[in-house]
Amino acid sequence: MIKFTINGKLVQADQGDMLLTVIRREGIDVPSQCHHQAVEPSGACRLCMVEITRQEWDGWSKFVTSCLYPVEDGLMVTTHSAKVIQLRKTIIDLYLARHPNSTEIMRLASEYGVTRTTYETVADGDDCIMCGLCTRICAHMGFSAISTVGRGHDKEIAPPLKEAPTDCTGCLSCANNCPTNFIEFTRDSNSLTIWGRTFETLACSQCGKTTITRDFAEHLSKTRDIPIAYFEVCDDCHRKETAKTMGRVVNWTREVQA
Amino acid sequence: MNFRFVVNPEVCTGCRTCELACAFAHPHDGKPGKSRIYPIDGGFKELWVPVTCLQCDDAACVKSCLVDALKRNPVTGAIELNREMCVMCMACVAACPFGCALLDPGQDAVVKCDLCGGDPVCAHFCPTKALSYVPIEKKDRIAG
Ligand code: SF4
Ligand code: SF4
Ligand code: SF4
Ligand code: FES
Repeated sequence: MIKFTINGKLVQADQGDMLLTVIRREGIDVPSQCHHQAVEPSGACRLCMVEITRQEWDGWSKFVTSCLYPVEDGLMVTTHSAKVIQLRKTIIDLYLARHPNSTEIMRLASEYGVTRTTYETVADGDDCIMCGLCTRICAHMGFSAISTVGRGHDKEIAPPLKEAPTDCTGCLSCANNCPTNFIEFTRDSNSLTIWGRTFETLACSQCGKTTITRDFAEHLSKTRDIPIAYFEVCDDCHRKETAKTMGRVVNWTREVQA
Repeated sequence: MNFRFVVNPEVCTGCRTCELACAFAHPHDGKPGKSRIYPIDGGFKELWVPVTCLQCDDAACVKSCLVDALKRNPVTGAIELNREMCVMCMACVAACPFGCALLDPGQDAVVKCDLCGGDPVCAHFCPTKALSYVPIEKKDRIAG
């Protein structure tokens, strides 16, 4: 058990826990864009910076990305000192210049009182902050259908060769977790399109409600040993079927006992 | 695992108290969450079935989760969904053959029965004891 303080309060954590995890557990609001518990931290967005010091550092302190910093005994962490807030404001200022149309960045800026950027605005700046969360999640799910392509200013997230990705299953995990909602997809009555590829979506055999894509269901069925028939009925109808099946059993025992 | 959640539809009256209890036991932002137990018409006269997660041994939801957000709590035996780890792929919702992993649109989260951490509130409130959480007799326990 590791013991240290956050904003003066003594806290405990397990060896190997990252600071941000413990900060969140304590209910303290530190911003982050590239963090997700499902994947390894990457330190890409810099927003989770906090100030750390130790007794023996004699008043000296430093800033670290809390999502990447493992807890240490005796650490003294400050999440909202004037210096940290100033640093966060500078980072937000830069984001605001590069992604002037992102509602998420605007929300963050207004939360930190950054009303406008002091840098030159990138007029054609899109909403992708290049945090790489989508590619890390996709890789962690075993697909690796998308990655960072290009260099410098032209860097972007895309499938290989920018063609419809063959490894994508249309699971939408990238889009659902993109902090700025940049990843677009469209839905039709029986299909969905993402990254330039159109997928057939399954429809419940009872009520017609659409569920996941056929590709995703087949992948799960094959790699995880789940009967494909499970995917043919939606959750609502599965519950109704369960009630009917149990109902028949109960009714049968009733009749036998009568 | 020392307790077992037992559903006895014979005595269920379809009063939906369990549903309310569950929703209030899993609140979000001060509002009740989505219930993880559903009293549904069993298809016969005066027959209701409270449908809820069976905490299957070889659970389809656990198998379908590619990021290990669903894990069995060794103390309660419940399969718990770690919301921080869930990436909202809907695999478990689609995979469960009983429809007991479901989307809570109000919270924008996937939810399932967690046996309330070992003290199922629905069983407490069920007026007819159609739901109960009972100790497993030693002789009934599977070896190991
Ligand atoms: S939708 Fe495709 S690209 Fe996005 S996470 Fe799923 S497999 Fe990867
Ligand atoms: S959610 Fe469904 S698959 Fe998972 S344990 Fe419960 S009943 Fe089984
Ligand atoms: S929706 Fe969440 S819990 Fe369910 S399989 Fe996907 S990541 Fe796992
Ligand atoms: S959350 Fe730590 S750098 Fe993005």
